[in-house]
Amino acid sequence: MNDKATASFVTAFETAGNALPGAGSWLARRRADAIKAFAQAGLPHRRLEDWKYTDLRQALDKAAFAPAPEHKGAVILPETRGAVAFAGIDAHKLVFVNGRFHEGLSDMARLPKGVELHRLADVLSEQWAKALIERRMDEARQAENIVELNTALMADGMALRIRKGVRLDKPLHLVFVAADAGASHTRNLVLLEEGTEASILESHLGGKAALADIVTDIELDADATLLHAKLQDETADSVHLSTLRATLAGKARLGSFTLTLGCGLSRAQNFIRFAGEGAHASVDGAYALRAKQHFDTFSVVDHAVPGCTSHTMFKGVLDGEAEGVFQGKVIVRPDAQKTDGRQMTQALLLSRDASMNAKPELEIYADDVQCAHGSTVGELSKDAIFYLRSRGIPDAEARRLLVLAFLDEAIELAPHEKVREIFRDLVSGWFGEAAS
Amino acid sequence: MAAVRETVETVGEVEKYKYGFFTDIESEKAPLGLTEDTVRFISAKKNEPDWLLEWRLAAFRRWLTMTEPTWAKVSYPPIDFQDAYYYAAPKQKVKLDSLDQVDPKLLETYEKLGIPLTEQKMLAGVAVDAVFDSVSVVTTFKEKLAEVGVIFCPMSEAVQKHPELVKKYLGSVVPTSDNFYATLNSAVFSEGSFVYIPEGVRCPMELSTYFRINEKQTGQFERTLIIAEKGSYVSYLEGCTAPQRDENQLHAAVVELVALDDAEIKYSTVQNWYPGDEEGKGGVYNFVTKRGDCRGANSKISWTQVETGSAITWKYPSCILRGDNSRGEFYSIAISNGRQQVDSGTKMIHLGRNTTSRIISKGISAGKSSNTYRGLVSVHRKAENVRNFTQCDSLLIGDKCSAHTVPYIETKNPSAILEHEATTSKISDDQLFYCMQRGIGEEEAVALIVNGFCRDVLQQLPMEFAVEAQKLVGISLEGSVG
Repeated sequence: MNDKATASFVTAFETAGNALPGAGSWLARRRADAIKAFAQAGLPHRRLEDWKYTDLRQALDKAAFAPAPEHKGAVILPETRGAVAFAGIDAHKLVFVNGRFHEGLSDMARLPKGVELHRLADVLSEQWAKALIERRMDEARQAENIVELNTALMADGMALRIRKGVRLDKPLHLVFVAADAGASHTRNLVLLEEGTEASILESHLGGKAALADIVTDIELDADATLLHAKLQDETADSVHLSTLRATLAGKARLGSFTLTLGCGLSRAQNFIRFAGEGAHASVDGAYALRAKQHFDTFSVVDHAVPGCTSHTMFKGVLDGEAEGVFQGKVIVRPDAQKTDGRQMTQALLLSRDASMNAKPELEIYADDVQCAHGSTVGELSKDAIFYLRSRGIPDAEARRLLVLAFLDEAIELAPHEKVREIFRDLVSGWFGEAAS
Repeated sequence: MAAVRETVETVGEVEKYKYGFFTDIESEKAPLGLTEDTVRFISAKKNEPDWLLEWRLAAFRRWLTMTEPTWAKVSYPPIDFQDAYYYAAPKQKVKLDSLDQVDPKLLETYEKLGIPLTEQKMLAGVAVDAVFDSVSVVTTFKEKLAEVGVIFCPMSEAVQKHPELVKKYLGSVVPTSDNFYATLNSAVFSEGSFVYIPEGVRCPMELSTYFRINEKQTGQFERTLIIAEKGSYVSYLEGCTAPQRDENQLHAAVVELVALDDAEIKYSTVQNWYPGDEEGKGGVYNFVTKRGDCRGANSKISWTQVETGSAITWKYPSCILRGDNSRGEFYSIAISNGRQQVDSGTKMIHLGRNTTSRIISKGISAGKSSNTYRGLVSVHRKAENVRNFTQCDSLLIGDKCSAHTVPYIETKNPSAILEHEATTSKISDDQLFYCMQRGIGEEEAVALIVNGFCRDVLQQLPMEFAVEAQKLVGISLEGSVG
């Protein structure tokens, strides 16, 4: 342990560990191992290849988050477009305030039969939950080590299990609000059994400087379909650290899309592994950042079996001194023939001081595959602006049109027409703020 | 039966490494291992001035504090740096006036390699500075080059005759502290080429050097320095072949290029070190640091490489685009077969305004080999209007090999336009079928298709190399299909 922030997490574990869910069970031992492993490695820093462009240690040392307290009194949502973005969508709703479930704001009545929705603490004795929590995608992957921090300190979260053949009638909307300053650790578990279907919407909102450490573990059985849209819109002094891990059985489908607008520093990790043939995963996103915002996407798609397809596309615009990072990797294991893996990252730099770092990797051990990746970085085309202006469109409007058109290619990949509309509006609003 | 025996013999011939012969020449070695004394020994052998000895010793002391890099996607047993000889020179007691005086065995070796040392081959217009193990034996075309003021000589000679140039430029592109292998090289480098092209001179011929590792257990530590003064042009060719061997051989060269205003350097390599046997045993470890510095405005540096040999290749020829409007190019073919491991690529560091770079990399993996492209394109804050295009394509032959692409793209200036594309595929059955139904054998068809795949890069090679390289592509893939 060689930094303040690591020490503060260890202290948090020592003082509050016994009060965390799962005390006295298998999880208590697992937590003890996890905090030990975490303390030994410390928070990640830039000398680790997987964290080459993001210094989490430095950021957390500087921010010095204390554990988030339990919120007292009424919860006031921040007055942002993002806070009400999904309001028009009819959904089952789960609200977490400072990382703790808030029953009063949630609405999870009238779930279809076969849909089991619980708090994390209620499912810890179940085998499927244990399997998901203990699952590690790749022992050798540095980036996955940070999950130990979450395992040690996770206090609450959502556990969704859908029984065979059942379809979730309307989307499940998860709202995470930082009503007070501090660090929270949340764990979500999702198991979709054979032939099921579900949509999950996530909103991450904040009024206070907070660290949101969220791990979502997903398992999709054969023919299961999960559509997932996430909106990240926390305050500029917040840190967002999220990891999504998903295993897909044969013919399962995962469509995950993230729109990132908020946070001073955010790191979104996606680990996808194919375990059955004919599955498809699409992990995409768009981001619009300004000022000193820093956003790092780290994604690994592991084609461990033949005949699967994957798609990764991240597009973003960077203004002010914002910094974008994309680190992606497509792995095609030996014998994973007939794989089709696509990876694309594109960024527009709108200001002199913005910067972008990209590292789209391919690691291929099979020959009958199609893999391609691409990366572009540049500014708005002067010709395009000139063209629009020559048609009488003012400069600012021309820029807005071009930026929206640029991001739209990614937003098109988000699930549900309604969500796409909402995301377009948010991006358009973001640009309005920039102009004013 | 006769036919069968003939086939067996032919196959046997093919299996053998074509250039795997060993020349028995008594050599003068430094003691086994590496200490300050080894460094002093080498320096004394070369009769070097004090400043260079100090420079070497500083590098050596720093090297002791460094650890071997492990980030490359290659694996090999740990190297015992104390179990190698760091200097070996063929025994040549007297200065030579003509070719006749050269050890005939040495000449025989060159003959087998086809180095154009003889009169007849001189007509090809190639000046050869032949490096045999570590000491230059003979240098041709010197006078012709001297006429226009070009200095082309072994590094040790340059240290004696042009110390001011060496002192000014040595280590100015690859500093002694650069990386583990470059630092090691700085401490123990024994030979290499020195090229100086004066202002406004267009070098009248292609310059070439043949590096060969000959002495058993001797790592070779070449140091090449090429300086192109304002408005000059030079094309430098480097080619390598090494005799068959059981022990791994360490090769840690450093190449530094300096291009001043309006100068252009074209550096071409055909690398064909011994790749090891079927199990990957005994091949050369090639850990090379090559870097070019486009120091002046409108300068240009172009790297072209054909990598077919070595058990392990760890090589990233780079360009620092410092001068405004300067241009860097990297064209590469990396072929791996058997159990070869290649981790190669380039770095384009854009510092100046309007700098452009182009990267074309073709990786071909066959057998059980692993082939990685690792490249960096970096645009600094003050580099306006940078343009980069990167294309790296991989071709997989067989299902036991692997191909990886690890590009790093870092931009701190919005006016930069960077593009990166990569694809991975195998030889299409349709193409193969088409060739075969026209009566072309399978191996030949593969060679043909691969040559087509590599065309963009082969075209960049000077004539002399292009022909050889095309043959090499075919030879390297022998036994990879069927």
